[in-house]
Amino acid sequence: MIPSDHFTRFYNEVFKFLESKGQEDLDLYWLEISKNQEKHILDLIKTKGLQGMYEYWSVIEEEENCELDLMVDEDHLELHMHGCPSLAKVMDNDAAPMSRYCDHCAGWIGPIMDKTGYHLVYDVISRTEPRCVMRIFKDAEKAKEAEKSVQLLMGWPGKKAAT
Amino acid sequence: MQKLPETPLRYQEEGNVHLDFHGAVNTTIDFIVERYGVEVLHEIFAKVGKDVYVDLRQHMLDGHPEEMVRHWRHFFTREDADYDIAVSEDEIVLTVRRCTAYHHVAKISPSVSAHFCDQTTKVNEAIAEGTPYRIDTEITGPGACRQIIRRRA
Repeated sequence: MIPSDHFTRFYNEVFKFLESKGQEDLDLYWLEISKNQEKHILDLIKTKGLQGMYEYWSVIEEEENCELDLMVDEDHLELHMHGCPSLAKVMDNDAAPMSRYCDHCAGWIGPIMDKTGYHLVYDVISRTEPRCVMRIFKDAEKAKEAEKSVQLLMGWPGKKAAT
Repeated sequence: MQKLPETPLRYQEEGNVHLDFHGAVNTTIDFIVERYGVEVLHEIFAKVGKDVYVDLRQHMLDGHPEEMVRHWRHFFTREDADYDIAVSEDEIVLTVRRCTAYHHVAKISPSVSAHFCDQTTKVNEAIAEGTPYRIDTEITGPGACRQIIRRRA
């Protein structure tokens, strides 16, 4: 058993292999992971909207030992990650980190937001710092406005953004 | 075996566990096998064994397989598995009666991949490769196995 605590280091090895095959391979994988994640979050979004997302990421905060602030209002959800355990573990690793490790988050979340009619603005800030800001809007225009102030905007399969 | 002073494991973990990661491992295994074949999956697990678990490998190389015992105890306890470890002069045997990873995947996923336990077999093999020890993994049932460390003949 690879302990669940070590999943991210396994994930990192998978990313490195897929990156060697090309972006399309990475995109297909993120779509597969996105489909896998639907069983944890899709019903919550469909039944409770932004509040359902708040519930999902509240569980993640606790189970994954994240340092984050989470808020939700009528229009959007906002997650400020101050200490991402996923990237932190990949960097505290005897194997080399995949240089775009952070991209996987938007890679799986983006397609779910597209499917449910929400608009994701994912600011990774820096791929070597375990922090980021995720905003999810009901309104596409508000999301476009929010994109103007990000430092490193993430894309996902179907939406190009940063390089 | 010489007893080592207790120091933290290389990847010591505290806090909560997120068992749903095992579901993502299951999805990943099927994705890799379907698109690239089982050999590629095994190469990725070998990299985990050799490149991620460098410290465990080094302990095996240095004649200290008991570090594997500490690793097993730490993580199987964290995941509340039903297991025990028997250490004798000739071998170390980890008996897993109920693997948390396997049973969690069985609960949350449509099916457990036929290659799910390859993660154990292949990572163990890679950790032991080139060391004075071998780690044999015997799957004894759904979510049950024996993992045996023996000095190579």
